[in-house]
Parts: sequence; structure tokens; C-alpha cells
Amino acid sequence: MIQNLRTEVKKLLKDKKVDIVLGWEKGSLPLSSSPLFIHKEEDVDRLIFDETCRNNLTTYLTKDKRKLGKTYDKIGIVVKGCDARSIVLYVVEQQIKRENVIIIGVPCNGVLEKKKILQKTENKEILESKIDGNNIHLKGRDFDLKFPLKDVLCDSCLTCRYPDAPVHNIFIGKPRKEVDIKDEFKNVIDFEKKSSEERWEYTKDEYARCIRCYACRNVCPACYCNECFVDQNDPQWIGKTPEVTDSIIFHLIRNLHVAGRCVDCGACVSACPVDLDLRIMNKKVEKEVKERFDYTAGLDIDEKPAMVSYCENEKQDFIMG
Amino acid sequence: MIKIKKSEFNKFIENLQKNYSVFAPVTDGKATAFKKIKSSDDINNKVLNTKRSPKEIFFPQSEVLFQYTEKGMEVPKREEKPFAIWGMRNCDTKSLLLLDKVFGEAHQMPKKDMYKDPYWKEKYDNCLVFNLACNEPLSTCFCNWFDGGPFDKTGSDIFVVETDDSFIFEAVSDKGKKFLTDCKTTENESDKEIKKIEKLKETAESFLAEKEDISSLFSKTKEIWDEPIWDEIAAKCVNCGACTFVCPTCHCFDVSDEGKGNKGKRIRLWDSCMFAIFTKEASGHNPRSQSTQRVRQRVMHKYNYFMDNYDEHLCTGCGRCVVVCPTNLDIREVIKKILNYKNEE
Repeated sequence: MIQNLRTEVKKLLKDKKVDIVLGWEKGSLPLSSSPLFIHKEEDVDRLIFDETCRNNLTTYLTKDKRKLGKTYDKIGIVVKGCDARSIVLYVVEQQIKRENVIIIGVPCNGVLEKKKILQKTENKEILESKIDGNNIHLKGRDFDLKFPLKDVLCDSCLTCRYPDAPVHNIFIGKPRKEVDIKDEFKNVIDFEKKSSEERWEYTKDEYARCIRCYACRNVCPACYCNECFVDQNDPQWIGKTPEVTDSIIFHLIRNLHVAGRCVDCGACVSACPVDLDLRIMNKKVEKEVKERFDYTAGLDIDEKPAMVSYCENEKQDFIMG
Repeated sequence: MIKIKKSEFNKFIENLQKNYSVFAPVTDGKATAFKKIKSSDDINNKVLNTKRSPKEIFFPQSEVLFQYTEKGMEVPKREEKPFAIWGMRNCDTKSLLLLDKVFGEAHQMPKKDMYKDPYWKEKYDNCLVFNLACNEPLSTCFCNWFDGGPFDKTGSDIFVVETDDSFIFEAVSDKGKKFLTDCKTTENESDKEIKKIEKLKETAESFLAEKEDISSLFSKTKEIWDEPIWDEIAAKCVNCGACTFVCPTCHCFDVSDEGKGNKGKRIRLWDSCMFAIFTKEASGHNPRSQSTQRVRQRVMHKYNYFMDNYDEHLCTGCGRCVVVCPTNLDIREVIKKILNYKNEE
């Protein structure tokens, strides 16, 4: 698979079909990868794709600071299912033109969640690792563990229904096709069953740890505002300290801003340096959008997003009470 | 040298708490940080690098400088007891010395005695720092690049080595000497213990990756300020503040007023040079509007500007930023890239 991918990318660069290709290379830490920006054919051999490729690289296409999507005429980008859905989001929201990106789909079996791995090793450092089919083998100074890969995949991957890029120009390898997932919103449904006091306690304790580094926002493909509301100071919308009420406001507003737009790629969860449970609220909002508007973000380039379309018969009880 | 059996550790901490507010590495839910402990049961001596750095003990993420009403202002009352920090590692104790150059020692350029930060000094000057040796450094540790080490004692008052059954204490500063003299424990300077420590030190050092010679880093960073290498270095940075917030030496801050009705408070809070708003001026102009400029600023501040002002690098090689970076932008690789950069001209 990887050889085919490299050959294809080399060809794209050689034929000048793209100016740059975004992919992943081996990272500096065990079980890590790092974004790779390929300009020259000779760099293609650094390209990898495996369970460590957790970054959603599409975030580099839109962020104001880089404007990759506007600097280059043609960008090639290697994508998992969720990443491709982010590109659909950009096209639908007119952030990039579909013809400016060459989408290279790769078959995704899910990506690793570093935090789950560290739970397995009880926070002990991994010195050696090997992925062998459906199992993962980890070694440290005083442990030697072998367990199923799915134990340490991102939560988003465990309930992912679209592992293959729904929109692509090239697909390398064998697609997995749509996966039958019945309990996609199980975590939300379980959470909804709790009393409001319990939910509040959990939420409060989680967000109390937030250090407001905005890593979640900055890696998020859906967060591409030129100026985020937290950065505005005239007027200033929220307090700047990591006081829990301000942190909750930041996260809740972000949840609402990505309503009907979040593709559950899990980038925010992976990026959070203090391991906040950022997924539960995003998933809750996704569920609401699905139930009210029967809309799933990032699947169809021709479909109007839930928040910009209107049907007379759609549920409005959240407004009317 | 003083030895305390692990079975007596609880008692030792209890005694320490009589005269000090004791801070130590604590695992709180999913995160490890230095926190004020209630009892020794809270302490996690196993954790090597806490997720959050101990700078927050002296320089909290947000600190009320004063509160005000229409009648006047008052500075919040501080802790009465001095601080004792148990279980700091060498990279962190060294970082306190660096921060003290900024907030405490006050030999900023251009002239001495310009400003001493009372909020920092109040906490730092009377504190007692216990530096716990790292028996098993991590693969992300690179303290040796900055002449630190798992058994280095710089920046501590008392150096502590954990052996199989005890903690062995050695005074480093006068403050530390006084503390150990006041401890009514028998001196213990057996050859056996010294050998044990030497063995542990040897093992610990063998865990560290090879030392990189960074002697030319300062001059090199000066040469390349305007070179395209920064675009390459910064390409994958997403400009979140994770690295700066977990860093034990990053110390840039913002000041914010939070008020309602006729009262309010002025707060000092961590800021990050990674944020676009950090340098945004009132006119709307932003001298560091590009990601590349911001990444360069962070690297230059660490390995050039601080050196220019204080003759030291503003980095102790703790490796926290290496661990938390969401895009694996590894500062060790950045340093290597800079050192190996050849000017094309």
C-alpha cells in the first residue's frame, strides 16, 4: 500500500499536477507521526501511512496564518475518511475550491490514541513498539504488553462509519466501505441518562483542568475563523483566565460553532495536553443535528449544510419551547 | 548526608508541614502537577516530569495582583508559611533560577535593580527546594544538552536520592544546610550509601540520549534570523499555546482587568507568543501576524535573546513540549536543524 501511495504522489509531483502534497512522516516519539509537507519528489520516501497518522492535515488548508489553500493552485493531500469529510466541509463552506485539491484517499483502520496507550502502560514510557495485525506489542523498562489494537484506538475511530474518503480523486488500496455501527452515540445516550447534577459535576471537573492553550481549536479543521471570539478584546467576550466558568463558556461556544460541521475526527481530543473529554459535547451536538435535520457533516459536496438551509417542516421546538 | 527510611517518609513530610506549605507532584484525575498537599499520601514520587510544570507555584497561570472598589485597592493576603517544594527534578529547579533572573534577581538590562517582582519574590525567596534525582530519565529528556543531568543539583536547596529503601538527603545551599542541621536525624555518611548513589547515577545517565553540542547555538541563531529555514521549521506548528504553557521557563504574561459594578480585580495571566493576539497592536497592526514569525520568536527567545541578556539558554531540556506538541514539532529536532543549517551564500 505504502509503495503505491509513494508512487502515486511522486507521479503527481513529477507531472506537476500538484505544487505540494500533505502527508505524514514518522514522528520522533514512539508510535507517533508528524505532518509532512512534500514539495520535492525526493522527499516522498519519507511519507508513511499507518495507525499513528492521527493528525487531520486538512486544518493546514484554511488556517488564516498559513493560507495553504490560497497560496497554492493545486494541493495534494493524503486523507483518512474523517479528513476527507473536513475537505467536503471546506468546499461546502466555500473556503477552498474542490478543483484545487487532489484528494488521495487511504484505507483507514483507525488511529491510535496516545492517552489510551499510556493508560495501558500506567503512564510508563514506551521504548519499543510493534503493530502486528490486530495486536499491538509494547515494551518499556519494566513491562512487556501485548493487547488488541482496538483497545487503544481513538474513540472516534471505534464508532466511525466512514473510514474511506467519501470524496476523492485517487484511492490507494482497498476501501473498507461503509461500516455498520449501531451505537455511534452510545456515550451521549449514557451521559444523557445521568442527572443534571451528575452531568454538571462531570463537566465542571473536566473543564476545570483546561489550561486554555487552545490546542483543540487550533487543530480543529472546523475552527478556521480569522479571529476567534476568545481573541477579541473589544469587546472582550469572556475572561482570559482558566477560571472554570470561562473555560466552560469557551468550550460550549466552540461546540455550538461546530454544530453540523464537526466530522468527529478526534483531532481536538488527541491534541489536548491535559486530556479533557472534549468529544462528549461535540458528539451530543452532532446527535442533535442528526435528529433534527437528518444531516451528517462532510459527506456530500452538493448538499447544503444544516445550519444554512431551511425547511418549513423541520423541528423548531428548541426555539418555540 | 542524612538518610530517611521510606517507612519514615510520612513522618518527615508531616514535620515539614509544620513550618512550610508543602507542594509536591500530585496525580489529580488524569493530570499530574505540583500542588499543595494535605498529607504525604497525595505525593506521587514515581512521576518524572509532571504534566504541568512547577513554575505555577511561584508564577500561577492567573494571579490577582490587587482588588479594587471605589474606596481603594488592596493586595490579596498571601500564605503565611514559606513554601517547601518536594520532588522537583533538576530541569525544574534550574528553571526557577532562570525565572528568578527575570522576576527576582532584577539585573535586567540595561541597569541593575530596575524592578523586582514582589509577587514572585514573596514566594520564591523563602522557599525550600528539594531536588529529587531522576533514577530513570525519559527518552524525551535532554537536560544533558544544557549541562544539567539526572543527578545535577543546580537550583536546589536539598538534593535527594531515592534508593530502594530510603531517601538520602544532601544539603546544597546554606538554606538547605540549616534545614538539615535542624532535622534531628543522625548523620549518615557510610561508604555503602555513597556507592549506591554513584551506581544509581551511572544507570540514570546511561538512559539519556547522546548529548548534542550546542555551544554554537547562540551564534548560529543570530546568523539565521532572516533565512528561509524558519518556514521549514514552522510549517507544521498550529500555533496553540500548549508548549509555552507546559514549559517551566516560558514566562510571558498578560494583564487583564475583570470588573463588575463598583469592584474588580487586576489579574496577571500567562500569555503565549504562539498566539496571534500576543503582539496585536491597538491599531490592528500585528508585527508577528505570521506563524513563522511567532515560532521564530519562541526559538530565538529561548536560544538567543535570553542568552544575550542573561548568558543562559531559556531551556532546561525537560522535554515537556516534545511530549505535548499536537503535531510532534520536536524542539530537539529544531535545534539540530539550526545547528546543521548551512547558509547557501
